[in-house]
Amino acid sequence: MTSLLQKVIGGGVKAEKPIKLYGHAGGPNPWKVAVILRELDIPYDMEIMDFGDLKKEPFESINPNGRVPAIEDPNTGYKLWESGAIIDYLIETYDTTNSLFYTSGAERGQRAWFVLYHSEKDLTSALDQYGGEVKRTIGVIDRHLKKIGQPYLCGEKISYADLMFMPWHWLVLYPPHVMGEGFPKEWESEFSEAWR
Amino acid sequence: MGDSDIHLYTTSTPNGIKISITLEELGLPYQTTKIEFSKNTQKEPWFLEINPNGRIPAITDKFTDGKTIRVFESGAIMQYLVARYDKDHKISFPPGSRDFIEMTSWLFFMNAGVGPMQGQSNHFTRYAPEQIEYGINRYQTETRRLYGVLEKHLSDNKVDYLVGNKCTIADIAHWGWISAAGWAGVNIDDFPALKAWEERMWSRPAVQKGANVPDPYKMKELLQDKERMEKHAAQSRAWVQQGMKEDAEKNQARSAKV
Repeated sequence: MTSLLQKVIGGGVKAEKPIKLYGHAGGPNPWKVAVILRELDIPYDMEIMDFGDLKKEPFESINPNGRVPAIEDPNTGYKLWESGAIIDYLIETYDTTNSLFYTSGAERGQRAWFVLYHSEKDLTSALDQYGGEVKRTIGVIDRHLKKIGQPYLCGEKISYADLMFMPWHWLVLYPPHVMGEGFPKEWESEFSEAWR
Repeated sequence: MGDSDIHLYTTSTPNGIKISITLEELGLPYQTTKIEFSKNTQKEPWFLEINPNGRIPAITDKFTDGKTIRVFESGAIMQYLVARYDKDHKISFPPGSRDFIEMTSWLFFMNAGVGPMQGQSNHFTRYAPEQIEYGINRYQTETRRLYGVLEKHLSDNKVDYLVGNKCTIADIAHWGWISAAGWAGVNIDDFPALKAWEERMWSRPAVQKGANVPDPYKMKELLQDKERMEKHAAQSRAWVQQGMKEDAEKNQARSAKV
């Protein structure tokens, strides 16, 4: 699947010019993109946006939904929004050595888009029931890791499915401790595989 | 392609019918197993092998290596189906093209935006055991904001479909949710371009066929009949509350061990 895409784009592009990444100080989603850019050694400039500037021009022309992250890539002329779509694009365009990506189809299927259901969870809500849902989803990851007996979600190699969880997990492990200060200890003892 | 063996595990919900509609639009043969939420089938071990998250939709297929592959998460399933089977780009675009990238953005917008927010709006509007104004307002307002983004995109660009002026998986992913706007307490009449798009989608034979899997599509009639709406909500409320109770008990047992 990669090879088809790379053929269309032109055999893998080298990022000569820095990519512009729009983010804001809080919120984990822009950091998913920043982590991937760092891992792939792609030059980038991050612009920290004020919330007030997101829902008007010129930013609305980059993302009609008025949200970060969004990127502008001067190497290809593309503008993209939605963190999952951006990461798809970066991996397929610039990860020519497949350092964060599995090329064989079965493993790619196993990678299984953990990203999608994780990003659905509204961690900022203070409502109790979401705390339960956060624990349920960490439990899903923990069981998956125990079952496959491998260090990462899709095998022996770290992939972008793993990296995308990191900024979300920081939210519960470090201040602001979205799940309460005692939660890291609970996680360590209860979800041992997902903890390591 | 003759080597495929697609099996769809689903229920009549906006996420479930995304996949049956995609399969119908592509004209692919498939078998269907209905997952009974009321019997907790989605939490049985054999199903957790197919989706460790215990949710619908999920599929299995015979992969190119001859072995069975599982795919879960509606967005992942749609991407898998078009990557493998939509060689003529009937409901997608060539990978790497501008339209492909724009289609992916709207697909994620659905799966990370409209779906979760409207889902929470359904929860507080229909399934919560008590009337919580804050939750109702927060999620109905956010759902309306997202509908406004779609409305503006369709009307500013004067297009019939979200990307490249043809029906793609980005449109299919949205349709089941938009057609159920009233269930989430959102009045579709406030969004005329989106309403016209919803009717345009519904006029497609494959959309109607896919919407009727595994059970007849009743949302349109349901929204016309207040009494039936309340009865349907009460039935769903019972299993939603039961599931939440079981998850909470599991979490409590975990915490108690610490």
